[in-house]
Amino acid sequence: MNNIELLILLLAGSAIVSYFLSKLNNFVSGVYTIFATMFVFGSLALYGLNGNLDPTISIIGGSFQVTYMGTFFALVVSFVYLMVAFFHPYFTDKYEYKDSYNFLFLLSLAGVLGTFYASNFLTMFFFFELIVWTSMFLIPLGKSKKAAVTYYGFSVAGSFAMLLGILIMRAEAGSFGIAAGLASLSGTNAVIVFITFLLAGIAKLGSFPLHIWLPEAHGNAPHPFSPVLSGALVKLGAFVAVLALIRIPTFSVEIDAIALPLAQYIVAILGSLSIVFGTLMAIKEDDAKKLIAYSSMSHGGYILVAFSLMNSIALTGGFYHILAHAIASAAAFMAIGAVARQTGTVKISDLGGMIHKMPLTYIVYLVAIISIAGIPPMGGFISKWLIFQAVINKGMILVGVAVFFGSIGSFLYVFRPLAALFLGQELSRYKNTVKEAPILMLIPMIILTLANIYTGVMPNGIIQYINQILGELGYAPVVSNGWELYGNYGVLNPGLIAIVFGVGVVVAFIIFILLKKSRPVGLMDTYTAANFVHNEQLLHYATDFYAPLERLYEKKSHMLQKFFENLAYKVKEIGKVAKTFFMNKYLELTILFITLITLFLLWGEIL
Amino acid sequence: MILDILMGLGVALFGFVLQTSVAGINRRVVARLQKRVGPRWYQEFLDIFKLLSKRSISHGWIFDFGVIMALGGIIATAMFMPLTSTFSAFGQYDNFFIFVYLLAVGMLGIAMSASGSGNPWASIGVMRALTTMLAYEVPFMIIVLTIIKVADSSSITGIQLWQQAAGNNWFLIALPLGGIVGVLSLMGMLGKKPFETYIAPAEIASGPMVEYGGKQLGMLFILHEISVFIEVSLFVHLFLGGATNIFIFLLKYIVVYTIVNLISNVNGRLKIDQVVLFFYKWPLILAIVQAVLAIYFGVVI
Repeated sequence: MNNIELLILLLAGSAIVSYFLSKLNNFVSGVYTIFATMFVFGSLALYGLNGNLDPTISIIGGSFQVTYMGTFFALVVSFVYLMVAFFHPYFTDKYEYKDSYNFLFLLSLAGVLGTFYASNFLTMFFFFELIVWTSMFLIPLGKSKKAAVTYYGFSVAGSFAMLLGILIMRAEAGSFGIAAGLASLSGTNAVIVFITFLLAGIAKLGSFPLHIWLPEAHGNAPHPFSPVLSGALVKLGAFVAVLALIRIPTFSVEIDAIALPLAQYIVAILGSLSIVFGTLMAIKEDDAKKLIAYSSMSHGGYILVAFSLMNSIALTGGFYHILAHAIASAAAFMAIGAVARQTGTVKISDLGGMIHKMPLTYIVYLVAIISIAGIPPMGGFISKWLIFQAVINKGMILVGVAVFFGSIGSFLYVFRPLAALFLGQELSRYKNTVKEAPILMLIPMIILTLANIYTGVMPNGIIQYINQILGELGYAPVVSNGWELYGNYGVLNPGLIAIVFGVGVVVAFIIFILLKKSRPVGLMDTYTAANFVHNEQLLHYATDFYAPLERLYEKKSHMLQKFFENLAYKVKEIGKVAKTFFMNKYLELTILFITLITLFLLWGEIL
Repeated sequence: MILDILMGLGVALFGFVLQTSVAGINRRVVARLQKRVGPRWYQEFLDIFKLLSKRSISHGWIFDFGVIMALGGIIATAMFMPLTSTFSAFGQYDNFFIFVYLLAVGMLGIAMSASGSGNPWASIGVMRALTTMLAYEVPFMIIVLTIIKVADSSSITGIQLWQQAAGNNWFLIALPLGGIVGVLSLMGMLGKKPFETYIAPAEIASGPMVEYGGKQLGMLFILHEISVFIEVSLFVHLFLGGATNIFIFLLKYIVVYTIVNLISNVNGRLKIDQVVLFFYKWPLILAIVQAVLAIYFGVVI
């Protein structure tokens, strides 16, 4: 099916079908969801990559267009949706409103397609809100209802900022068209639209300073929905940020030393702060899902930095990072989700030695974190390499500090769940109860692992596609021929790195296998400095893993959260004042105020 | 291709032999410092081969797999290392970032294997090693950013050629503040005192190494020697103008390693939070000042 409108309608229809199927049987409904998302992803991949998608609209109104950028985002996001759908049969029956889970999930995918293919802002805003609303009802199915409120608060702030920007743009440009409308902006209006769009982008991306919702929502969402939030929906913010940073003509003074407009530089600094704070918070987090959520915040910072640098290498790095991070963080979240399903907890300090019972999940997580940390031969290395090249080329030193700090810091935080959750002592309470995840859950995790490796070893096909996006945005393509990838300062050959790494491992394996065989011993049979330690819990180092480092900054780590809490308190207070006017026990007073306000609003229109 | 890979393996083997011998010689140098005679120069080889020949224990598959992955990653990194400005196994692909990040695969391997042993000392050691890495790596990367920007190349060979070109100084002299940071970071990388916090034999029982014996420990020794070779060569190539032939390389290599070792032997050990605070104070400030001077004001001596 190559018509976008039909795909959206199909998803909406499937949503309703899945609702009624859930009434009958959850497993069947989950399987149905897998096939629906598979069909959509298949259609997008089949027709989208060839440029054969059909944007005509006959039923729902609005207007669509097919762009390379839209297809790129839609493919990444629908891929994550498809992978996550495999988890549904095992999870949805546990939730309070289990019938509507698949319904909302499919509806939000419909919103995603609409947003990325919309050609005018009204259509885009409608579908954007569809995603916000559906996900708002999905998040409270997890652990906490407050998380949904936080999520919705920040999302709505972003959405309405964007709506304001759209209306201002409409006033100047005379139409809602995306590319033409933004290109025609100038002067003060350009500044306002830039700021409002960026607010929306940062709010969706969960970047500093609007990041409070991200760990709350990611950490408390249902286990199969966290990968969607982090891998897919956060990327909406990147989409909006691209619109603001690239499509709006530059309006601010240019900083000569780094050849970058001031506004873009400020965004790069915001991105850098996001990287640093995300990293520091992730290092001290004990909840595995929140830890990866903070890492998403830090990676959102990388994406912002990349898009604010305004040259081909950086943009390519940014787009590649969107793909690589979507795959890696989805895989990491799904591995944690699988552990959570088998054990019932995601607290790192409560878990240990999962590798002995869930080796495949462990491998999935290992490959995912190698990519998140930007180590070759995985996808994250390619994008970070490109971003580093661009940052060095611009000579941005402070941004450089943040970028390198985040990169090294990511080794620290990704290693924590690895060491304390998967490795370490095998805790006695999990010894006999835990099994490897079911096969249907392993399938998507293994596919994601292969995708992680593919993006790291053979990036050239993807780079070629990103070059088409660059052409669309008016930038020169990045050179990549055969296996090689050219940056500002030299050439990278990811395939060669993978081969050499393979050779190294083979050599090491030969050395290992030729030598005398080791005698297997138990995990409790370790050096304890002559003390007798009688249970696993006491030998398991999991709580406050980075305690000496945390001590250096933990007192200052809640400053921004306190600010937002106080702000929320103030808003509530104002709300209470408004409430005393309108919702008190004197009905006549309420009616009086409503009449007065109606009169005031209609003044000059009718009266 | 096959020839290149064999050449790369040759470089890795050369690095192992070189560093093991230099380490042996340094044991004698340090012994003289302490008014001892010291072991024979090939003592390190004997230690490693003895360990490899012994029967050992294993704490499960991840314990072995981590060691293999670590040694594999380090060998792969060493294969990319150019020895002189004209000799490297893979020509133009010796990108600086490969060394930093492929080295990290090795580190991840050891960390994984050590945590897999289930010994808390090992986990504490890994925690300290990663924290130290966070400390020294950022100032170092800022200086390398400056070097790449000035030399207009991120290939190690390209950076060597820039320093060897007429009219250009070694980066140790061209960027003097950066040179200081480079030496300090190198000491952090090598885990030399005062930044030896993650090994700390008297404190946390050799940290990550606590559970190893026999062939696993032997392989970790090989790994250690090769990674020292990578780090010291990186310093030689980045800051000391690289080398035009192998003898100059050997000379510079031995001098750098011996000086670092001597500094290390007259120092005590810092605590882990002191290490972090130290690196985020002076080295980072020096690195940023140097970068601003060199990039924005064009001050390169």
